Amino acid sequence: MTERARLSGMSLTPLVSSLVAILMAFVIGGIFLEATGKDALEAYRILIDRGLLSNTGLTETLKKMAPLLIASSGLLVALRAGVWNIGIDGQFMVGALFSAVTGAALVGDVPDPVMWIAAFAAGFIGGVAWALIPALLRVRFGLNEIITTLMMNYVALNVTAWLVKGPAKDPKIVAPQTRQIPLEHRLPKIPGSDVHIGLLVGLVCIILVAILFRSTVPGFMLDVIGRNRRAAVHAGIPVATLMVVALLVSGGFAGMAGANDVFGVQGLFKGNWNPGYGFTAFALVYLARLNSLLIVPFAFFFSFLLVGGDSMARRADVPTYFIELLEGLMLLCFAVAVYLERRWSQRTARAASSDPATTSLAVAGESE
Amino acid sequence: MANDALTPRPPLPDGRGGEPRVEMLGISKRFGPVLANDNVDLTLWPGEIHAVLGENGAGKTTLMNVLSGMYQPDDGQILLDGQPAVIKTPIDALEQGIGTVYQHFTLVPNLSVIENVVLGTKTGFRLDLGNAERQLQTMLADFALNTTPQTEVRHLSIGQRQRIEIIKVLFRGTRVLLLDEPTSVLTPVEVEGLFAILRRLREQGVAVVIITHKLDEALDLSDRITVLRQGRKVGVLDPETLAASDRETSRLRIVELMFGGRPSSEGSDVASGSAAPGETLLTLSAISADGDRGAPAVKNLSLDLHRGEVFGIAGVDGNGQKELGEVIAGQRRSTSGSLAIDGRTLTNQGVSAISRAGIGYVTDDRLGEGSVPGQSVAENAVLKTIGLAPFSRKFWLNRKAIERHAEALIEQFDVRTPSASTQLTLLSGGNIQKLLLARELAMKPKVLVCNKPTYGLDIRTAQFVLKTLREQANDGNAVLLISSELDELLDVSDRLGVMYNGELVAIFERGEFDVETIGQLMLTGRRATGVAA
Amino acid sequence: MTLNGIDVTDFLTAMLATGLLRAVPLAIASLGDVFAQKAGLLNLGIEGMMLSGCFFGFHAAYKTESVVLGMLGGIAGGLAMALLFGFLTIHLRVDQVLVGLAITIFAAGLTGYLFRDWYGGQNVAANVRARSIEIPLLSDIPIIGPAIFHRQIIFYICWALVPVFAWLLYRTRFGLNVRAVGESPFAADAAGVNVIRTRYLAIGLAGVMAGFAGAFLAVADLRIFTIGMTVGQGFIALAITMLGGWNPWRIAAGAILFGMLNALGDSLQIVGVGIRTEFIGMLPYIGIMLALVVLAGKTQLPASLGVPYARGQR
Repeated sequence: MTERARLSGMSLTPLVSSLVAILMAFVIGGIFLEATGKDALEAYRILIDRGLLSNTGLTETLKKMAPLLIASSGLLVALRAGVWNIGIDGQFMVGALFSAVTGAALVGDVPDPVMWIAAFAAGFIGGVAWALIPALLRVRFGLNEIITTLMMNYVALNVTAWLVKGPAKDPKIVAPQTRQIPLEHRLPKIPGSDVHIGLLVGLVCIILVAILFRSTVPGFMLDVIGRNRRAAVHAGIPVATLMVVALLVSGGFAGMAGANDVFGVQGLFKGNWNPGYGFTAFALVYLARLNSLLIVPFAFFFSFLLVGGDSMARRADVPTYFIELLEGLMLLCFAVAVYLERRWSQRTARAASSDPATTSLAVAGESE
Repeated sequence: MANDALTPRPPLPDGRGGEPRVEMLGISKRFGPVLANDNVDLTLWPGEIHAVLGENGAGKTTLMNVLSGMYQPDDGQILLDGQPAVIKTPIDALEQGIGTVYQHFTLVPNLSVIENVVLGTKTGFRLDLGNAERQLQTMLADFALNTTPQTEVRHLSIGQRQRIEIIKVLFRGTRVLLLDEPTSVLTPVEVEGLFAILRRLREQGVAVVIITHKLDEALDLSDRITVLRQGRKVGVLDPETLAASDRETSRLRIVELMFGGRPSSEGSDVASGSAAPGETLLTLSAISADGDRGAPAVKNLSLDLHRGEVFGIAGVDGNGQKELGEVIAGQRRSTSGSLAIDGRTLTNQGVSAISRAGIGYVTDDRLGEGSVPGQSVAENAVLKTIGLAPFSRKFWLNRKAIERHAEALIEQFDVRTPSASTQLTLLSGGNIQKLLLARELAMKPKVLVCNKPTYGLDIRTAQFVLKTLREQANDGNAVLLISSELDELLDVSDRLGVMYNGELVAIFERGEFDVETIGQLMLTGRRATGVAA
Repeated sequence: MTLNGIDVTDFLTAMLATGLLRAVPLAIASLGDVFAQKAGLLNLGIEGMMLSGCFFGFHAAYKTESVVLGMLGGIAGGLAMALLFGFLTIHLRVDQVLVGLAITIFAAGLTGYLFRDWYGGQNVAANVRARSIEIPLLSDIPIIGPAIFHRQIIFYICWALVPVFAWLLYRTRFGLNVRAVGESPFAADAAGVNVIRTRYLAIGLAGVMAGFAGAFLAVADLRIFTIGMTVGQGFIALAITMLGGWNPWRIAAGAILFGMLNALGDSLQIVGVGIRTEFIGMLPYIGIMLALVVLAGKTQLPASLGVPYARGQR
């Protein structure tokens, strides 16, 4: 089915599953809040009020969307091809550091747009470099990328922390961090708003990925690989090469997300700075049912949760970790929803022909 | 011919039991529209080896699965030692003394021999292997197995594993031993060893059943032979009959039961058979290839395919036909020999090069390999050609062209689907097959390899597929048709080769087709000696 | 004895003592995960189970001031996560990677939330003291004496579990069933093994051990909880299980090796060698990848690892 058909209401069931999962997670989360002595309704009210309905909240939410969109676009490429890139966090950090260093070297010497492009390119390269190691290990030694990408996250945490203490450090400051990019050299605001153009970068990324899957040969082939690897071999598709490319591309996007946060929010790279977008991106791409354009509303939703969660912590005395808890609950509820959906479609449609046990992607992919 | 069904109780040779151990009465089993077993009777006596013979799809395996508790019969009754028995699961069967050795072994490769033998038996929490080990030692010696109980099964040969498999069920007190195609994976020496063991078990009073399509083995080994055809029992050769007639007579009798009475192929509407063979399109020279499990599957096979011909490959499943098709398609590496298309050598060049050179391949695994079930009909229609114009230019897909192409194929091949954007899973098997065939033909292959293209299709669709293949040849191309349906091969082929054990054992020209000779070759790999020699 | 002004004896003692201590949670969690993996469950939730063990272990110990109850609290925390994992992957047959990561995220959120809520995020120490015993004579041996023979009781219990688990895996019917269902569930089923039940027991055991490992970390060793304190140790344990070829003895050796890597930094600092902590910090993770490379192709993953089982869907 083309993506258009997917969106045109022909198969709303997958989206329903996600929405039900989210709703369930909120209900369970609410019970949990009450059980720990909070006022759940009040907490949710603040969440929505501050994350969505207030001007600053909405601005923050839109800002936070940028890195989520960028990282998710990459993750989508990997997951659609059946590649488990769980190393988004590491790729993010390395990309952020690369871009911060590039920016610090160029700032003031070149026009800002050139610097931004260079910094995003550096972020992309950093992310690719970090994904390259698991990719090589996969190609050369046949190591599954799940464990290697996970391990690379922790290595990245240490490597970047070391680099900002040493070679990449701003010598004028005691704290371990890169040279700060002055405010006037950061990413400009979208006219008429307080949101920097990172959001547009994110939207562009999503659109690029949507185009990749909707309109290009490699995208088509990645989908075939993700859905039925044997059919890909049968059709003469270069399976190994494309899977590596998918891993590298997703690393690159994660790195660009890092560049976005350096130039849109932080202005520098600090040691041990890991916003942990990886798991959020993972959750949101799954809830968006691996559908590129659906990622946009889901990124908005998750971003709103992160922003509103901060307000909840301040105003309703609900620790920010509640949002992470909620994300976990959503994925768990989503797992149940996927199961129910599978049962349902087996019962209504003719005997399901694809083996549910084959590829992991089938869980989400088959129901798109 | 179908009524020596009710066998009188045979006179009992020395030392053999008196009562039948198992009586299956009027067993019927239906799968959807297919009646796999139609009112079949089968009686098993202790101390007797009983062969159940039949072509693929004759219902042998279904019958055995009913007895081993894998399937419940829709109709009929099973008596064990004269008592009605209910067999719900394979475990149930095992506990009632019926043990099955499947074609695909059910041993756990990384466990030791003794662990496999005691797996699932009910004893205490602590594994006490001492007793079992002593018992097993004796059995290993009995079975001429030169291995220790502690050896991991993965280190054993296929033949050894099979014996362990037998030991495993005997260890649990099996008195009725079912073996599904037990020799299909064995070397000749291993076959001899297996037979010796089965004869010994017969002496010990076990009722042994072998399901086979190999005629000579059945004759070599068994005391009684039951022949199934299209789900029905068509004859039994009891011990007296077998003893009274010479081997050649029995052989001819069985071939007659299995293949006799088929309509002549001449004058069929599908066949046309061009007179003069055209130039050579595909040359296989002494090609060999290994199967999935690493054992040689295609052995030193040579074959020329000519313009304008349909070359049929007959053979019982699992004799290397699938692997042959995959080698030609570039999907499986050949270990030796060469492959040339139109005079260009393209051995082991991979799927895309071979496909570009003009080879099409329709796999027998339509959903697992031939298509992407989650994608649309249109997307599946261009799975192999997506990188080519007009479906794409450079990197860009042309969805319109893809859709138009799919619609044209749907129209031309009468694929029943709501639209080109319908998800493939919603189509029936026949329509998926038409689509896969259409996909290959649209690439205008010079040589089209089809593996079981009519499998599971209704007659009309099957006829359509065969007619299409015929036309493809008449248009000056070549078709290699692999099938286990002898009738359709006889109808449509210009030449017909028989594969047996990885080799092409004979090639017939149209007009020389002789069903019974071909049947013999499929079953034994050689012609009837009585006639030829 | 000194070298470059460093007391070699002190250094080695510290290194061995810390290394063995750091090895305990890895060893414990790995021992349990052997059963999950051997039963065909790729347990990426182990990180969450361990973290859950840390928090609930710490909480129980803080409230009761009892090491034993603390350990039990940790076990309960790990087990609860494991049963959730089991229900979703075994019963509902949802993808194991998805569920594993979901469990890990959920546990991180849950423990972070509760810790902030109940303890205000303060680093408070549980008022417990795991009792130590000193083995006479042996504890007087230089270096290994203080490092091995003068330790907490629970330390000895943990290492005593290695032979117990080896026995459980190789010498009991349960162990045999586990080894069969992860390799060929169909064969095991055909032989009369209850695949579903075996897998539940296996993941339960893995959860208990992961929780125990977490509790050891938070209760017996550090006596504090910090948010996200496992920093990937669960994942490392998962990898050690694979690297050790699912053999409890080799896993114990692997855990000690990685414990030593972990301890290297601390020991060097104790004796006053300045080395970047980041270098030391990433050693275990790099070590895991190197070890995977070295052993690539030499170990055979359980054939049905990650594959849900449903009768009749061969």
